[in-house]
Amino acid sequence: MLKTIFVSSVLAVSCAMSFAQTPEQKGLDIAVESDKRDQGFDDSMVSLRMVLIDSKGTESPRKLRIKALEGEGEEGDKSLMIFDTPIDQKGVAMLTYTHKTKADDQWLYLPALKRVKKISSKNKSGPFVGSEFAFEDISAQEVEKYKYKYLRDETYDGKDCFVVERYPTDRYSGYTKQVAWIDKEGYRPLKIDFYDRKDSLLKTLENKEYKKYLDKYWRPNISFMRNHQTGKATRLEYKDYEFKVGLNNKEFTKNSLKRAK
Amino acid sequence: MRCLSSFSVFMLASAFSYSDVNITSQLDYEGTGYVENSKIDESNSTSFNHSLSFNTEIYSEIADGQSVTFKPFFRWDENDDERTHGDIRELIWHKVADTYELKAGIGKVFWGVTESQHLVDIINQTDGVESLDGEQKLGQPMVQLLLERDWGNLDLFVLPFHRERTFVGKEGRLGAGLDYADGIYESSEEERHIDVAARFYTYIDEFEYAVSLFHGTSREAAVGFDLIQNKLLPYYPEITQLGVEMQYLAEGWAWKFEGIVRDGMPESSLNGFPVVFDGINLSVAESDEYFATTAGFEYTQVGIWDTRIDLGWVVEHIYDSRSSDVSPTTFDNEVLLATRWAANDAESSILLAGVLLDEKEGDYSLSVEGSTRVLQNMTMAIEARIFSPNEDSQLWAFRDEDFIKLTFSYYL
Repeated sequence: MLKTIFVSSVLAVSCAMSFAQTPEQKGLDIAVESDKRDQGFDDSMVSLRMVLIDSKGTESPRKLRIKALEGEGEEGDKSLMIFDTPIDQKGVAMLTYTHKTKADDQWLYLPALKRVKKISSKNKSGPFVGSEFAFEDISAQEVEKYKYKYLRDETYDGKDCFVVERYPTDRYSGYTKQVAWIDKEGYRPLKIDFYDRKDSLLKTLENKEYKKYLDKYWRPNISFMRNHQTGKATRLEYKDYEFKVGLNNKEFTKNSLKRAK
Repeated sequence: MRCLSSFSVFMLASAFSYSDVNITSQLDYEGTGYVENSKIDESNSTSFNHSLSFNTEIYSEIADGQSVTFKPFFRWDENDDERTHGDIRELIWHKVADTYELKAGIGKVFWGVTESQHLVDIINQTDGVESLDGEQKLGQPMVQLLLERDWGNLDLFVLPFHRERTFVGKEGRLGAGLDYADGIYESSEEERHIDVAARFYTYIDEFEYAVSLFHGTSREAAVGFDLIQNKLLPYYPEITQLGVEMQYLAEGWAWKFEGIVRDGMPESSLNGFPVVFDGINLSVAESDEYFATTAGFEYTQVGIWDTRIDLGWVVEHIYDSRSSDVSPTTFDNEVLLATRWAANDAESSILLAGVLLDEKEGDYSLSVEGSTRVLQNMTMAIEARIFSPNEDSQLWAFRDEDFIKLTFSYYL
């Protein structure tokens, strides 16, 4: 009984709040809450199988590992991706410094030449290693990278969701907008529609089989990106997530790219 | 309890990874077809050349923060004995400590930002028989200390042994039609002279720069003539080189600059050889300080024509303050115009096509390089070059060396 009262009063308060809010404010609040729930993971490691699927359904798999370091204060997250296959690309590594307000810094290491190349931030809309994911889709989703607008509530895949539109602030983004279905329970993006520069539907991302790590951090086991305009798709299968491994800044420098194994 | 179990998991994982030896190998077949008969050496009738090469990388973490990498290499060439050769590309111990990194053994290091040539890059000797672009390098014995600080990166090198450059032999095409004699050194310690080098590099937002200093035996040889053996004679002088690299990225533009000032290299010309050895006396031309630069840009258009193709435009100007007759292969005042296509497909297909123009001589050469993945563990690369020298040019002899090279790389 007591619980019911508590829940209904919380509901009443949040309803009252939502009345006072503009859709833009509510959209931002949802993004902030989603970000807040993911804070404190410190660092993480994960193995990834990326399967490129062409319009005929032919699959072309590759394997990589991702190390991530949570940003402190005003700094964005840092990430290091290391390719294990295709075997001719083994040892290729990419380092990204995500920034909240300015363009990300990104470097690519080519082991055959021992060469570290800085990647232009204008490249962010380009495909990531031939996949349907753009560089900007795989980089850390800082709150500041978008403006938001809450659209409506909707049930998606049996879960109550907020539907929020977000508009990239970076002019080099390949998108005019994204529409995200965020579930109310976990504030997890279950589905995102991407609209290209002509404002037509380009891609849909579905995050499936969410699993909770360290009793707090939700991560999908599978991310599936379908390109509606080409019929191609890319499936990401995450494996062996680890959090709070004890990674530090030294493992995310230009020098560390060269020794990434 | 939880602490204990995670500790034991850690130990187990460590033990496993320490005994873990990671091996990757690559077998290449290379076929090169020449369109015409050689004019450099009329007796050289090679019109098609087969070659095989084998590369292995063995990597093992031997202790916490310590690893060993071993990369042997071997090539067999059908016609050119000089090109049939082996090398230890790397055999190096690497320690990563909290405040420094240390490497000791045979290693490889790359310096530079430009595409047309790599002026500043001096640690490793060029494996000249491998490719025309000089991008393949011989393993270099070294001790390298890397310091990474808030103010930037400082790499310090001690290089205790000099490797001689490899040159295409008499039987190979694209050579000089003559064999090379063993090199002669300015230093009395010859190849055992201890060279030193340092490089500082850092970045400020989109601006990256590096300053480097090298003192020791030149990797580039002044080429002379040995009258007794009737062979070309590489002469390796003691030089000091100051190098600068800069790159600025802005809105799809990558502005690039490399420059060197070098002291100690004999001023030379092909007509009067800089080095002549008559069996008794070695005469070497005077050395002079000179500078050389590569400057230009690469502009990249992402996703042209609403496709996933990236198109890049490369323009670079090459300048060398020495006279053009240093050697026929030295760039003195040329322009590279190139275009780079990246298909961004599942096969990672890329294509680079370019023309190198010598404004003064009226020479030009065209090149096309492309690669794609044909199987999960096999890639294919194509390289084609067309030489179009002016009749008065020193490159005139290369006029019929046009070739197409196909390489299949199989990974095991």
